[in-house]
Amino acid sequence: MNITILYGTETGNAEMLAEDIQSELEAEHDVDCMNLSDIELDAFDPGRFYILVCSTYGDGELPASARPFAEKLSAEEPDLSAVRFAIFGMGDSEYEETFNFGPKSLSELMQARGAVQIGERVAHDASGSDMAEDLAFPWAEAVVAEASQVLGEVA
Amino acid sequence: MSGKIAVVGAGPSGCYLAQALLKAQPDLELDVIDALPVPYGLVRYGVAADHQGTKAVARQFARVFERQGARFFGNVAVGRDIALDELRDAYDVVVLAAGLAGDRRLGIPGDDLPCIHGAGTLTRALYEHPDAEALPAIGSRPLIVGNGNVAIDLLRLLAKAPDELDGTDLGPGPSDWLARSGIGEITIVGRSPAAQAKFDPVMIKELHKLGGVTIRVVGAGETDDPEGRKRLDALAAIDGHQSGPLLITFRFGLTPVAVEGSDGGAMVRFASSAGEETVECSSVLTAIGFRAAGDLPRDEMIAAAGEGGTGRLAPGLYAAGWFNRGPRGTIPENRADAQALADLILADLSARPAKPGRAVLERHAGVVDYEGWQRIDAAEIAAAAQGRCRAKISDRSELLRLAGDKEAGK
Repeated sequence: MNITILYGTETGNAEMLAEDIQSELEAEHDVDCMNLSDIELDAFDPGRFYILVCSTYGDGELPASARPFAEKLSAEEPDLSAVRFAIFGMGDSEYEETFNFGPKSLSELMQARGAVQIGERVAHDASGSDMAEDLAFPWAEAVVAEASQVLGEVA
Repeated sequence: MSGKIAVVGAGPSGCYLAQALLKAQPDLELDVIDALPVPYGLVRYGVAADHQGTKAVARQFARVFERQGARFFGNVAVGRDIALDELRDAYDVVVLAAGLAGDRRLGIPGDDLPCIHGAGTLTRALYEHPDAEALPAIGSRPLIVGNGNVAIDLLRLLAKAPDELDGTDLGPGPSDWLARSGIGEITIVGRSPAAQAKFDPVMIKELHKLGGVTIRVVGAGETDDPEGRKRLDALAAIDGHQSGPLLITFRFGLTPVAVEGSDGGAMVRFASSAGEETVECSSVLTAIGFRAAGDLPRDEMIAAAGEGGTGRLAPGLYAAGWFNRGPRGTIPENRADAQALADLILADLSARPAKPGRAVLERHAGVVDYEGWQRIDAAEIAAAAQGRCRAKISDRSELLRLAGDKEAGK
């Protein structure tokens, strides 16, 4: 399957995880990895599966590199109904009231433009004891398996 | 294109810079030098013990050494163990990312009284920096001067009950010091109005979780500015929070003008729009910024460079992070800066293969390499007590012994 991993990052932690997921999936799939700040809205390809990795920053806000993308989504209102995506969140439960608000709002923005989310939005907690990749790798395998069925039916 | 680059300082700015440089040019010979036997600077000794999630960036920095090929040279003080000029002769590029280790002083009469403690000095002691002074007696009514995130970190730590420190890496000495502190009241004052305070609103909201405090916010005022509004809203959200007896009072718009010693500690005189006011306290904890302290003449070098803070000090010599910009900006801001500086350095770089590079460091006695740090790291994690994620070793000779002990942790 053709997969594009898009990351929204502030400290670089989400970027590192995105690259790790790329390495993990690369053996069996064709995987690109890019910053959300670098993707054009008209570049979304219905033949690809998109894996978003996004952190939360400050008071439940989107991380810096996801903000321009989110603004474009809101301003240009593109039709993303052919886009299939999954999203993995990174947060810190020290800030419990806004825990993982970044990926939550990014997912909502994508869905508001018609994009279809595949699988559950899973959240890593920086204050927890799990390593992000220990949660993300099995999750990625699962959403890719689910997506290959969905995208296979479309194709 | 290859080239030899030495980054002085293994804190977040130095590590982010190394990461960005090696991402762009993987074949650089890049060495990160630190005066301490351990890397990561303020991530280890500045980020609060109860903000372990913030320390997660250290995993990225570990990759810089483990996968990107940077070498760590710990326990080497540039300016003392090796002259800066000697380093510049050996490398194509030297980047100074040594931070700002000194506390800015109040600069008013009485600011040298023994009851005044800088936040950096105190934080180093709390977080077991090898060069830290002993934790001081601060009495039952400390006054915090400053309204940045450093001040809020200090306030939160001082206000926490022992069971609120679970999962941290606060050591037994500092934990005991906190538990016995007997603090009944903390007042925190800022010079600016609340709407212009330097703290991030999320740092204020976090105080709502404190389990043993009563919070009062006095004179926060009003504002039309949306950013200021967020600060006022955060303060309003914690005002009146009552979960226990330790009284926290926020005050604003007070400029300290003099400190006088008193029987119980100190009297601090403030000027405000309403006139003068004196606040009595058991100690004064200043968190009003940092300044250069150490073996490099930082201020002279930055002033001589002029050039609007791009980081270029002289041919082949650059400054990064707080060392360059002054004590402003969070970890991610320093990441963005480091990425911009990496672009500038690589655009300027012309490698001269005759330069000896790390050979000048390798002949230095007592160097701690990355494997040495991994031994320290493993030993600290293995020794973590109940309710702690790590047991930091503060004694430099013990750090050096562990770093060199190839049997440790096996």
